[in-house]
Amino acid sequence: MKHRILVVDDQPDLRLLIRLSLRQLGDVSQAESAEQALAMMAVDRPDLMVLDVWLGNGQSGVELCRTLRMDPRNDKLGIILLSANGQQSDIAAGLAAGADDYIVKPFSPEGLVAAASRLLAR
Amino acid sequence: MSSTLDEARRLRVLLDLNILDTATEERFDRITRMAARLFDVPMAFLSLVDADRLWFKSQVGFPFSETPADKTICSQVIRQDEMVVVNDAIHDARFADCPYVTGFPQVRFYAGMPIAYDGAYIGTFCLVDSVARAFDEEERALLRDLATMVANEVSAGALRAAQERQRRSDASVRALLEHLPDSVLLIDDAGVVVSCNPAAERLFGRAAASLHGQPAAVLLGVPESGLAPSPGAPLRFETRLVRPGGELAVEAALSAVEIDGRPHRVASIHDVTAHQAALEAGRAAEQLRRSYFRTATHELRTPMASILGFSELLTKRDYERDMARELLDIIHKQSTRLLSLINQMLDLARLEAGGPDEAIRALVSPLALASAAVEETVPAARKGDVSVDCGAAVPLVSANPGRVQQALGYVLDNALRYSKPGAPVSIVISASARDGRRGVGIAVRDAGIGMTPDQQAQMFDAFYRAGERPDVEGHGLGLRLVREIVLAHDGATDVMSLRGVGTTVTVWLPAGDAS
Repeated sequence: MKHRILVVDDQPDLRLLIRLSLRQLGDVSQAESAEQALAMMAVDRPDLMVLDVWLGNGQSGVELCRTLRMDPRNDKLGIILLSANGQQSDIAAGLAAGADDYIVKPFSPEGLVAAASRLLAR
Repeated sequence: MSSTLDEARRLRVLLDLNILDTATEERFDRITRMAARLFDVPMAFLSLVDADRLWFKSQVGFPFSETPADKTICSQVIRQDEMVVVNDAIHDARFADCPYVTGFPQVRFYAGMPIAYDGAYIGTFCLVDSVARAFDEEERALLRDLATMVANEVSAGALRAAQERQRRSDASVRALLEHLPDSVLLIDDAGVVVSCNPAAERLFGRAAASLHGQPAAVLLGVPESGLAPSPGAPLRFETRLVRPGGELAVEAALSAVEIDGRPHRVASIHDVTAHQAALEAGRAAEQLRRSYFRTATHELRTPMASILGFSELLTKRDYERDMARELLDIIHKQSTRLLSLINQMLDLARLEAGGPDEAIRALVSPLALASAAVEETVPAARKGDVSVDCGAAVPLVSANPGRVQQALGYVLDNALRYSKPGAPVSIVISASARDGRRGVGIAVRDAGIGMTPDQQAQMFDAFYRAGERPDVEGHGLGLRLVREIVLAHDGATDVMSLRGVGTTVTVWLPAGDAS
């Protein structure tokens, strides 16, 4: 069975980069806002979400992550947070919100593939 | 009976009275004169017994101001509790060998009453004659009365001196309180203000008379239960005072004191409004700096994510030619974006730091600067949308031409970004005075989306972009740079904007020529 991966990022270039990077791991769909992501989750539950922390318009990926974790149906969902801010406190806040991994931009596509594979293999 | 203790006490009382070696005083002399006349004696005096001398505060017919205390009758009298009467000293075993008896002034009769003050005998009031005489009960009673009058005068003098000291001390305390910048309130056991200093009148904005009788808890804006200091430990608290001129932040210290046996409290109040405002401004500046740093980090790393990510994919994986070109285009676009961001951030840092390049000034024509900015900034496709009009008698400006052209470029760039192609953007240059200074206004008017008042308030903040429109390129540093450049030229930037109607940004620069 193919893995399903959802990329949530407001920047089209970054969405393309992540889709291209992870294509080898399964079906990659994309959302550009928190609402769009939640709408897509309602239809089809992915195995893994790659979620940008700064979603634009004041939206926070960390908040979305926390919301998702409150729903027990998402217990098996792997979440990787992506952010340009990589201070200890940022990473700690992301993990506390329920993320499984926190990757700091810029990142290596191979590194992202490795992190995603680890979570999908659980 | 005499003792060293009595002696020490007497000397201390004399010292406290501050009476030894002072001038004669009529209030004592009057009694001494009266005594000499009443008893018809040639000599009468008030002697004070110092450590080793008798000193005469008042005397009649006695030619000494002081004598050695040794072997005098007086120094023995103060060791008795009662009046000492010697009818004929030459025949009195106790005093027969006294030098004043054997020699001048040949004392025969002596009647002396000890004078007490503050629990010690300090001296005697005496009658002396060189002939022996009797001294009946009535005379003894009279001498006792006169001695009492003397003792009363000693007490009265001491009281006056104490009152004078108190008056001086009160004046010192009053001066301290009146010139203390902190406010002081005295609060009685009913919680009501009974006294205050002028600083308190200023702090509360009302006269002392209208502060007196007010409940302190109401004035200080705290519950009465919050005004209960424990003895010896001032209660410190912060509060806000609501008064006609606006709210004040204060720090107060409340101490428990007892006055006339009743518990009172002293409140000392220090205005910390300015201090708190400075702290708040410092915190806000720190917050802004931190937010700038976080945003800058994000803005610098995001294009780097595309550049590094896509270049890694291109080197490690194989893509069709068209796909590879698309990815290279993204890398190029993001590199360009990153470079322009780096340049703007460096420009901002340079402008804020100042330096010789920023100080360059030349006399230039505003029209030439605006035309150069149009040439440089406006893409060929939109050149037709932009018009430049220059009014009459526009003065030259003293400017760093590169910087001002850059600033006008950013303003123009914004006007074009936030309006549709084909919508007119007009530049109007006119002579204009500001705060009494001659100058030039360069107004850039667009018919674009306009801004809400809220957006206008933030438009000069670093990294602010109206509506966070992903379709509009830019970093949000342009207008911040405009403001910095214009400020460095002693000018001003004005904005007028209406949502849905358009925006006019006016750069005003002072005239550079003296004419």
